[in-house]
Amino acid sequence: MGQIVEVLVAGLLLGAVYGLVALGLNLVFGVVRVVNFAQGELVTLAMYATYWLYAHYGINAYLAVLLVVPALFVLGVLLHRLVLAPLQDEPMMQIFATFGLVILIQNLLLGITQGQALSIDWPFARTVIAFAGVNVNVARLVVFAALTAITVGLHLFLRDTMPGRAIRAVIQDRRAARAMGINVDRVLLLTVGAGAGLAGIAGALLAPIFTLSPAIGGNFILAAFAVVVLGGLGSLWGAYIGGLLVGVVEACAGFYIDPALRQAIWFAIFIAVLILRPAGLLGQVGAEEVGFRGQQ
Amino acid sequence: MDSNEADATVLTTPAPARQVLESGARAAAKFTAGMALALLPLPLALADSYWLDIVVVTYLMAGLAGAWNIIGGFAGQFSLGHGVFFGIGAYTAAILFTDAGMSPWFGMPIGMVLATAVALLISWPTFRLRGPFFAIATMAFNQVAFVLVNYLDWPTNGPRGILIPFQAGLASMIFQQRWRYGVLTFLYLLLVTGIALLLRRSRLGYALLAVREDEEAARAAGIDVLGAKLRGMAISAALTAAGGTLFAMYLRFIDPPTVFSLPDIGVRFALLALIGGIGTLPGPVLGAALIVPVENFLRAHITTDWPGADLVVLGAVMVLAARFLRRGIAGALADGVRALGRRRQ
Amino acid sequence: MRLSRRAAIRLGGAGMLAVAASRRRAQAAEAIRIGAINPYSGPMALYGTEVTHGYELAVERANAAGGVLGRQVVLLRGDAANPQQGISAVEQLAPSVDVFAGTYLSAVSNAASDAALRHERIYWDTNALAQDLTQRDLPNFIRSGPDADAFARGSVEAVKGLIAPALGREVKDLSVWIEHEDSIYGSSIAAAQRTLLQAAGAKIAGVGAHPASAIDLTDTVLRARRAAPDVFIETGYVPDGNLLLRTSRDQGFTPRATLFVGTGDTPETLSSLGAAFLEGKLVESYPRPDVAPAYGPGAQDYAEAYRRKFGHDPIAPQGLTAYVGMQMLLEAIAAAGSTEMAKLRAAAAAMDRPLHSYATGFGAKFDAHFQNIRALPTTIQWQAGRQVTVFPEAAAAAGVRLAPLSGRG
Repeated sequence: MGQIVEVLVAGLLLGAVYGLVALGLNLVFGVVRVVNFAQGELVTLAMYATYWLYAHYGINAYLAVLLVVPALFVLGVLLHRLVLAPLQDEPMMQIFATFGLVILIQNLLLGITQGQALSIDWPFARTVIAFAGVNVNVARLVVFAALTAITVGLHLFLRDTMPGRAIRAVIQDRRAARAMGINVDRVLLLTVGAGAGLAGIAGALLAPIFTLSPAIGGNFILAAFAVVVLGGLGSLWGAYIGGLLVGVVEACAGFYIDPALRQAIWFAIFIAVLILRPAGLLGQVGAEEVGFRGQQ
Repeated sequence: MDSNEADATVLTTPAPARQVLESGARAAAKFTAGMALALLPLPLALADSYWLDIVVVTYLMAGLAGAWNIIGGFAGQFSLGHGVFFGIGAYTAAILFTDAGMSPWFGMPIGMVLATAVALLISWPTFRLRGPFFAIATMAFNQVAFVLVNYLDWPTNGPRGILIPFQAGLASMIFQQRWRYGVLTFLYLLLVTGIALLLRRSRLGYALLAVREDEEAARAAGIDVLGAKLRGMAISAALTAAGGTLFAMYLRFIDPPTVFSLPDIGVRFALLALIGGIGTLPGPVLGAALIVPVENFLRAHITTDWPGADLVVLGAVMVLAARFLRRGIAGALADGVRALGRRRQ
Repeated sequence: MRLSRRAAIRLGGAGMLAVAASRRRAQAAEAIRIGAINPYSGPMALYGTEVTHGYELAVERANAAGGVLGRQVVLLRGDAANPQQGISAVEQLAPSVDVFAGTYLSAVSNAASDAALRHERIYWDTNALAQDLTQRDLPNFIRSGPDADAFARGSVEAVKGLIAPALGREVKDLSVWIEHEDSIYGSSIAAAQRTLLQAAGAKIAGVGAHPASAIDLTDTVLRARRAAPDVFIETGYVPDGNLLLRTSRDQGFTPRATLFVGTGDTPETLSSLGAAFLEGKLVESYPRPDVAPAYGPGAQDYAEAYRRKFGHDPIAPQGLTAYVGMQMLLEAIAAAGSTEMAKLRAAAAAMDRPLHSYATGFGAKFDAHFQNIRALPTTIQWQAGRQVTVFPEAAAAAGVRLAPLSGRG
């Protein structure tokens, strides 16, 4: 019995990692309608920045958020200005360009680090809380808490503030939003910036947990894609629940079936969901049939 | 649907697309024929096996990108899961050759049939998805295939992969001289381009174009959208599997990370077609002819104190190409030709 | 014709390089040229470069001593991170090199050695692990370093000769969990370990596989913890190994002995886990420069030469094995009087140097498949943040003592 709880907790904490990486992806995906393949690399960049701040200036990872997030926001704005916005009507070229960025960033980091794997051994991230026989690593718990807090915050922001409403208007109908006097281009710009900023949060919070290698973003991003589609395009809570679901499925499959097969199992579930409910668990029905087109 | 309707559909497409169609089809036919004549003697004349290797890979990748282009370009279905079909072609021929001694000339069609069957199974549910949903779902299939092939000791030999013994001969599709592979892969490229050309002018080809431009309009015009997409995918998958067989017999070693690599295989077909000019006939050829040699050149000539410097350059080239060569090399060439013509007038 | 085309391309793309290269070639018209095929880009670049650093040091030493057969030795790099690039790199270098050496990646070695055969060049492998490579019986393939089987045997010897006595148990009373990453590297070693441990009478508590790119291994650790093994053996890469250890720490999984295989003995692991947690843990790996001088004569010289040339300590022990492999190759060339395939192979077949002839403690004696049967890994123990060679006993330097296997507790 205790074992099941341990596995579930492990799954939820893993799901929180997926969910956190998926947040930025989902925002950009939902609002700007761009599949940013380089989102994982933005997380990687944030992780390396956090490492650098820790190793050279002794700044701990949670304080590093204050520096990393603005830096990533600026990077996101540049990304939008220089790459995504000019390719607004060329969805396939966007995939092409962001894939180019993946290769570019990964190998830039490879050159800088000479391929050496780096880790932050931060005592705080070693702390373990034992609760009813279940061991929980504090750094992972922070990821879970941050994911929940950001999701709630974004939910309130989108519901109750003017900029939030503007974003929702843009999600629903870009042309009408423009007619209503919303500066759509600025909304898109800020959204990509915010998406990159969320990657910054993810990177800073994940850096103390994992061993950094240039390709690590790629390990998160496939799962994050699945989470976004599983939860539903542009659905905040969909991504939250989707992330936790994927995590729990993976942990259970790994523990009860075979760790070597866990990826295949949740991919299979992901595909099954796509077939049965293509819009995702909480997505707007029909969104998947709109795809990129019809929203320009 | 009869051909009049097909023409009507074409006429209602937006202007730029129509231009590409009109000048594209005719120019492309001429261009391909010209390329065929120009390039065939090339591998035969090259004595240097370094360049022969690049030529072989270029032809093979051009053919594979061309196969992808049928569904990804003509029909606009951005599949990132073609590694599955590629893998089926590679593994089927390799397994039948090493375990049963069957010539890859028979293994290849078997792989093509299997790939077609799997393609139809995968496509039936995923074709409801559009744009990014379709791309991500097909990418997921590639990952499932990777994990399963790596996991199964039988028949794929798991992570150890399959080593194909060196038994030179036409029947075994293994040659001592590299130029023979050049001829083989060139024939493959010719086959893919020929089929694409025929398809382009067929009723199915027009239906695929109509689907790409506007699925609802195509459906309203009486086109069997799902049927057209499935047939396009079947052809594309079968041709991709044939390329997989050639790859396996050329390398004579396949293992899961090699065959199901997203950057080297699954996504690469799409990227080559994109940079060359998606949806055009010469696009995949141009994309492969540019990228494959450039990659080799960068890897061989950029100093290695900075690991990955060659790929940094490649990544930058991709971003810049996306920005400034939006219709690919084929589009840029067409623009250039048009500009020249105007000046002459 | 061929030369001019090649020269034209060099000039077009990298003028400076071409000038430098042609000048170098003119100087060393009679040089013996060796093509070093390794990943210099991609995720494995660190190790590909480290292996080549080993070659460079061996070549410099030979050149300082007057070269081989009175000729200078020159290394040319061929970058290959996947099998197809392996073929390409060989084809690129084949016209200008006499022999090939490699390779950190087995899949690359496989394709590259095959391509080298078409040019009738020896492919002298120093660092690839996959068993299949020598089983192919290619007439140009020779492996001077340990293969996966040697690592499996070495790790099981460590269980029998080091861990069991340290725990005060018989091997047959030990239960062992075998964990491995799921590519060819981890799975082939794990399969051999299982067979050998069963033959030795040990109880296999379980076998687990995980992808090297895994971002969570809690399920794996919970499975292993449930089985409560005395000994935990893991074969993997650096990131998954680190994650496994961190997760074990979180989950309170503390087997009485932990033995890593292949990786886990570099600063990359130390910086992730810290000295206190690593204390007492064992790693079966390539021999390190700290082996006893009688076991590996010249190992210290290598470490010093490395520091002089590259300005820091060796990054990973693979370099020393590569260094020794290159030495063997140069000796074989000297004995053969030629780099020609058949003669070089015959010279290798005739090599018979006892164990402890080289800095790694290796000897040189090739079996019918041209696998060096006198190339054995060693076991280190983490002691106060340092990697100390402890097994085989002869390899341990004077004054080295085994620390408690499960740390200070």
